[in-house]
Amino acid sequence: MAYYESVFIARQDVTPQQVEQMAEQFAGIVSAQGGKVTKTENWGLRNLAYKINKNRKGHYVLMNLDAPAAAVHELERNLRINEDVLRFMTVTVDELENGPSVMMRKSDDRYERDDRGPRGGDRGYRPRPARTETEGDE
Amino acid sequence: MSAAEVTETPSAPATGRRAYNRKRRSCPLSGKNAPKIDYKNTRLLGQYITDGGKIIPARISGLCAGKQREIATAIKRARFMALIPYVVY
Repeated sequence: MAYYESVFIARQDVTPQQVEQMAEQFAGIVSAQGGKVTKTENWGLRNLAYKINKNRKGHYVLMNLDAPAAAVHELERNLRINEDVLRFMTVTVDELENGPSVMMRKSDDRYERDDRGPRGGDRGYRPRPARTETEGDE
Repeated sequence: MSAAEVTETPSAPATGRRAYNRKRRSCPLSGKNAPKIDYKNTRLLGQYITDGGKIIPARISGLCAGKQREIATAIKRARFMALIPYVVY
């Protein structure tokens, strides 16, 4: 079976509970068709970059799927029918991410600099060895 | 001024050679621990779009052809999912 990553945006005025229900419903459709939902991620209510059907915000849900093509077709058919879904997109991926996606960890991983160490640095500054009084005397 | 002349750098001398040979930086996304190109990573994609929302050409971004293509698809996907805008006014 192939790996897919499916994201849909739900309307801004549905409640978070309803969004959870929708995610479960869609997961049910996939598993009914012999697929597996390996991860469901709720990104919460996010601002949209532009208005979609007069919505300024939307609930984003990501689902990682390991499913046959038929399951994806059935899922997409249902996403199209559901009026609370503003937009959806399914892409094939080479491998499924197990951990949280970039969206979820955004805040903690600053731009990857582990290969060069932290920014700034001491610019070669080394504190001068403290001059001991005996040195100058002799 | 003809169109062919416009593409050349204004400071280029009449010989048609570049005024200075700046060393081309290697592709910043090709290295060993380069970040993975993903349409969800809006902060990474943000580095490859202009303030107006356009995709920065490879000539300027310095990406290799393959990575530029990946970035372009990722940007288009992110735009579709309203993660980044198509146009910024």
